[in-house]
Amino acid sequence: MTSHAKVLTAQDTVAHDGTAGKPQPYWSPYLAGFGLGLVLLAAFVIMGRGLGASGAFSSLVATGINAVAPDHARANEFYGEYLGDGTKSPLMDWLVFEVIGVFVGGFISGTLAGRIRWSVERGPAITDGKRLVFAFLGGGIMGFGAKLARGCTSGQALTGGALLNVGSWAFMMMVFAGAYAAAYFVRRQWR
Amino acid sequence: MNAPFFKFGLFGDNVSLVVAFLIGIGFGFFLERAGFGSAKKLTAQFYFTDLSVFKVMFSAIVTAMVGIFYLSWMGIVDLSLVYLTPTFLVPQVVGGMILGVGFVVGGYCPGTSCVGLATGRSDAGVYLIGIVAGIIVFGEVYPLVKDFYLSTPMGQVTLPALLNIPYGVIMFLVVLMAIGGFAGATWVEKRMAARKGA
Amino acid sequence: MHRSSGWLTTNRTLGLLLGLLGFVALFLGTPYKGTTATLDATELARIVEREVDHVAPETLADWIIQGKADFRLIDLRSETEYTGYHIPGAENVTLTALADHGLQRNEKIILYSEGGIHSAQAWFLLKAREYNGVYMLRGGLEEWKEKVLFPMLPAEPTPAQRVEFAKMKEVSAFFGGTPQTGTPAERPAVVTALPKLDMPAPASGAAPKKKKKEGC
Repeated sequence: MTSHAKVLTAQDTVAHDGTAGKPQPYWSPYLAGFGLGLVLLAAFVIMGRGLGASGAFSSLVATGINAVAPDHARANEFYGEYLGDGTKSPLMDWLVFEVIGVFVGGFISGTLAGRIRWSVERGPAITDGKRLVFAFLGGGIMGFGAKLARGCTSGQALTGGALLNVGSWAFMMMVFAGAYAAAYFVRRQWR
Repeated sequence: MNAPFFKFGLFGDNVSLVVAFLIGIGFGFFLERAGFGSAKKLTAQFYFTDLSVFKVMFSAIVTAMVGIFYLSWMGIVDLSLVYLTPTFLVPQVVGGMILGVGFVVGGYCPGTSCVGLATGRSDAGVYLIGIVAGIIVFGEVYPLVKDFYLSTPMGQVTLPALLNIPYGVIMFLVVLMAIGGFAGATWVEKRMAARKGA
Repeated sequence: MHRSSGWLTTNRTLGLLLGLLGFVALFLGTPYKGTTATLDATELARIVEREVDHVAPETLADWIIQGKADFRLIDLRSETEYTGYHIPGAENVTLTALADHGLQRNEKIILYSEGGIHSAQAWFLLKAREYNGVYMLRGGLEEWKEKVLFPMLPAEPTPAQRVEFAKMKEVSAFFGGTPQTGTPAERPAVVTALPKLDMPAPASGAAPKKKKKEGC
């Protein structure tokens, strides 16, 4: 099988429904971004805080470790911070509920647009299996980086960006830098 | 002024969890609308073929930034009560770079991977498992990285405060940067499409 | 160049709108409510008349004994006066330092001074900057001394007053004061020695403010 490195253009990233082709184009990025901005603004006005995602997974991990090895969890400063004083489950956390909402919201939008399809996202030059390995690795790297930076793109870049937070802007620029730097090395995955 | 409502005690912790859920729905909805459930679309940013990540992110940032500025200036919201994550410069810089690598290797970020899984992408699900693993690794080596993690603290500091430039001026510069970026992104996309298509 | 309506696409319109908003922001400076103050005179006058923003010394004493930590107590006097004696738990902030002290608009703030004049003036300053949880200690430190530190039984006490006095004796003891025996006529002209500041810890240990996790 010859593998011409198929180059992705903007057209390829238009959604295509897996069933009898009714392509459902995505919204204009500016419109979607505007909607996202309004959601963020609502969080500012209603809660006095911004969005987030990685924190919810930390709570999940802390709960899990605590269930399996409670002494180790308590002794560890990092997990301990999420376990609190034990009166409340770490899962009763704002971010946990927010992330559950993200699943639901994504599902709703996907359903409305006919974009739900069990698939593995990858370019043509790589197998499903290899792609999943990369997905796991990428997730692991990102999980570690998110904890080190105290946030991810939703919490730090979006929220901190809108609030002109110094650390968040530095973080945001480095995310782009790191991604562009690594892009060449994993191009086989996508192109 | 009595906004942010939660900070002024207009509702309690339990209702705030419901608010979290609703806001999350909005968050996930617009992410999917933008097509960010797809790793291919997300990573196309880093090959210059589809710069939606930049466009969506900065549209969102300027919308919220301009919105909260005017709402606060008008006295409707108290901006000083909106939580600002403390800055720890070096760990955030290093963490950001690591995160960027993870982004393009894995194809998602935590928020978008949830949307990806919700729309059926199994690689997004594997990615989520990866995130959990990464956090466990961090937690286990925490005693070793703790000093680094807590280094270079700068407290809660905004760009206007740090650079001693008025907030409105910084905002104007960010808006200029965004508009310029949008125009530039469109141009880059057209060039890439023309170059490969023709 | 002839500009047809085709140039002004949706995106460009939005871009212009955004640019305009950003440009106007240049002249607005800071979004934080700084040191400028606005007054709704009628509204404020109404609040003053209703006296809803007063806190009685006995009430404050109760809160301190119960270990309530949901308010900030501000002593507006000078540093020397503060070191001489202050109500336990009070922070020393003069009027000029009030704006920079880091008081949040969603906090309950109780102000006191020697009598009540400075606390009333500070109250106005904060109210004008849209602080809505501001209260004044009625009668200031003078009434605190009279009612809490050195409570006195009236000349011909009613049973209710006797009960009240019995309670105030305990409160006074808590703060290291001395209940006055005898009649008001015999109240010493010179203020008796003010208690030293090593107070017993509040009865029910005030729960340390749980830091709500708000990161991401």
